[in-house]
Amino acid sequence: MFDVLKDIISRVSADYADVRYEVMRETKIVMNGKELYQIGSNIGDGFVLRVLKNGGFASIAFTKKEDIDRAINIALENANLMSKHTKKPVRFTEVEVVKDTFIPTLKEDPREISIDEKLELLKHYNSIPLRFENITTDIYYFEVIREKYFVSSEGTEIREDLVTNGIRGSLISFEGGIVQNVRVGIGGSTGFYKLMDREDVFEDKTKIVLDLLKAEPIKGGVYNVILNPDMAGVFTHEAFGHFSEADLIEDNPSMREKMRIGAELGNGILNIIDDPTMPDQLGHYKYDDEGVRAKRTYLLKDGVLVGRLHSRRTAAEFGEDVTGHCIAEDYRYAPIVRMGNIFIDPGKSTFEELLERLGDGFYILDAKGGQTSGENFTFGAQYGYEVKNGKVGRIVRDINITGNLYQTLKDIVDIGNDFELGEVGGCGKGQLNIRSCHGGPHILVKNVVIGGV
Amino acid sequence: MLNKLISLAEKYFDEYEIYEMNYSVDGVSFENRVLKEIESKIQTGISIRGIKDGKLAFAYTKNLLDPEEFIDNALASLKGEIEAGFSFPKKYDLPTLNTYDPNIEDITNTKLVEESKRVSEILYEKTNTQINLGAGKGVVSVHILNSNGVDYQTKSSFYNIYAAAMYPGSYASVDRLIADKKFKEFSKEDIDYITLLFNNSKREVKPKGGRMKVLFLPDTMYVLIWRLVSATCGRNIYEKTSPLINRLGEKIFDSSLTIYDDPLNDDFPDARSFDDEGVACRFLPIVEDGVLKNFYYDLYYAAKLNTESTGHGYREGDESIRERPSPSLHHLFVKPGKSNFYDMIKSMDKGVIVPSALGAHSGNILNGDFSIGLAPGLYVENGEIVGHIKDSMAAGNIYEVMKNVVDIENRVYLSNMGIFPSVIFENVSVAIKE
Repeated sequence: MFDVLKDIISRVSADYADVRYEVMRETKIVMNGKELYQIGSNIGDGFVLRVLKNGGFASIAFTKKEDIDRAINIALENANLMSKHTKKPVRFTEVEVVKDTFIPTLKEDPREISIDEKLELLKHYNSIPLRFENITTDIYYFEVIREKYFVSSEGTEIREDLVTNGIRGSLISFEGGIVQNVRVGIGGSTGFYKLMDREDVFEDKTKIVLDLLKAEPIKGGVYNVILNPDMAGVFTHEAFGHFSEADLIEDNPSMREKMRIGAELGNGILNIIDDPTMPDQLGHYKYDDEGVRAKRTYLLKDGVLVGRLHSRRTAAEFGEDVTGHCIAEDYRYAPIVRMGNIFIDPGKSTFEELLERLGDGFYILDAKGGQTSGENFTFGAQYGYEVKNGKVGRIVRDINITGNLYQTLKDIVDIGNDFELGEVGGCGKGQLNIRSCHGGPHILVKNVVIGGV
Repeated sequence: MLNKLISLAEKYFDEYEIYEMNYSVDGVSFENRVLKEIESKIQTGISIRGIKDGKLAFAYTKNLLDPEEFIDNALASLKGEIEAGFSFPKKYDLPTLNTYDPNIEDITNTKLVEESKRVSEILYEKTNTQINLGAGKGVVSVHILNSNGVDYQTKSSFYNIYAAAMYPGSYASVDRLIADKKFKEFSKEDIDYITLLFNNSKREVKPKGGRMKVLFLPDTMYVLIWRLVSATCGRNIYEKTSPLINRLGEKIFDSSLTIYDDPLNDDFPDARSFDDEGVACRFLPIVEDGVLKNFYYDLYYAAKLNTESTGHGYREGDESIRERPSPSLHHLFVKPGKSNFYDMIKSMDKGVIVPSALGAHSGNILNGDFSIGLAPGLYVENGEIVGHIKDSMAAGNIYEVMKNVVDIENRVYLSNMGIFPSVIFENVSVAIKE
């Protein structure tokens, strides 16, 4: 395949060009309640060509080899067009030329496990909530194997595999006119073993979705809250992390001013890191989709902004170092700046100390989608508990929190000493990133707006 | 290759369906009046469903290089023993729709760049704020054939442009999207709409929260409609997770609300005379004068419930070949009312306008609950927009909120999830951080 890619590059007359070819093998088994809905393995493939010419930069994704010439022409035309119209010629930060192959070591390679065994395991976990007549499920096994080949006109040649698998979905309980649901997800990037002996996860979620039928809706208002690692992770990812992605803020002068290096954004106890090099975590990779080696990157240190996530283009634009965070969903997309594993660094407090300090408020768990407008964010939580006098009490539901990013970074007043990263990801920023991983410790946040129903 | 695949499918399956898709699209984006990106895609794909001894097989590939391997993947999926329960449809005489405008081929990327630049500059001059903008065009072709004689093709063209005036320090914005089958100028009216909403709301205000009127713009009507789409989906009827089961014929919303799916209306891009399973499309009322009229089905869930497909089997997701068809409303309309948009604002004594929403996907969708961050909320007092609110949420349940309609706009716009007018609802809970 490298020969085909090198041939494509040799036919592009530009200042820089790279091409990525990927074969994606996907296995999916979907259960709706007791019924099997979909099962099978499939293959897709395709090319993504990027060219940089006279400060104009363009990309094209195409499927067929017959389209190579047409694709080269379109990409060059678009680069020329952009070069003519842009006020800001695109430059790339220089990086090391790499020739490398990275095939991750897996504990039990999912490719070597039969689809029958995967189906049996899925059915087994699915049967745990389905013991109850008022629960249905929407659960699937997924396996995505990306075999990537990358060649650049600078001489970089990288072959890397990304293997992701898991079991995820929702449990839905119903009684009278009330319908409740919780999400479940296990898996990762290190092999099939992560899916074994996980009955406890499904037992816990079953109990929660049944409890939610009897839970009171939370009353809207402003509260002090403890967020569990998943909620803290979603805050870190959605509210803060996206604005550490240089491509999102580069052409937004007011955001860029707020997110300048050296800005005191958070409480002094707050450290936020993105680290795709953590080998056992979902967001692990060695090279990004521009062939740049990933780096552990401090974003916030003692509450001060010290770094951000870059592609080669944005690193040049900001005059900062590349970090290796330019990632594509698959063979249909040019890469964009993405998070790898993002988290708040653990602090010193035990969970009991956090509860004691909270006194009265809510303990809020497990995110259910989140979104941000820059300054303001909104996240759903799957469930929570009322806390009175430092004691965890009754379960509550219908929780959506909203807040201002900068105020909330200052309102994080205590950080737990525990640490947990998510096993399944999924971040949509125009394209999906199933390996986007976040988490952290428990955190205590003051003055959070909760919109009740 | 296709003929080889057909002969293999005939050999191995009792019934089969082949679905081919290809598209080519181009898009440009501007941020803060700077041309940021030009991106193109040329994609193909093919998917097969087979039925053998009543069991369903499924496979897809991007690039049909080896029909035998492809059929093997489909045959392997038979091991799952998924009951089909249906037959692929027979051929009908379908109406001819006007979905493709050859003028689309004349839109060069240069034209996309020039129009985007023109609109960016005008909006910047009028609002003096950051303008983000995207424009795109493309042609999508779908071909379905099956063993019962169906052999349908459709080719659709689309052009779209959206412009957003951004509130400083955030990505909260006032937007307008224009979509058509051919090039369409971003009009003075569209520019005036963004300018008026943005300029009058520049100041940040912090009113008290509570229950008030909320005006959902076409761009945010999806927050409410999403809950209805989910509760009327054949799949959720079958799974018994919809709160609307056994409620057909009941009044669920204000009698001014009529909501229907109209795939045959080719005034808008992507009209269809057949769905992604080759079933003939038809007009389907979902809610008529506030009364729940119909649920919608694909072949699979219709068979499960012993009813007929309503022609709503679509391959969801961003790459259609990869997904099995499932029930989906692709051409949803909320019927327009009688009021001029600006008169609607004038009629509000106190309330908020929602130009964009955060967190529409969270909360208990099936139950009809929503709880969205307003990005931002435009605060209206005595018929005038007086400013924007930053930290606020609107929350409720659609089966309460949609009973209290105050007014509906006399025009509709292609938006997220359908084609909608602006609607004012009364007595909606709005939380505002003090």
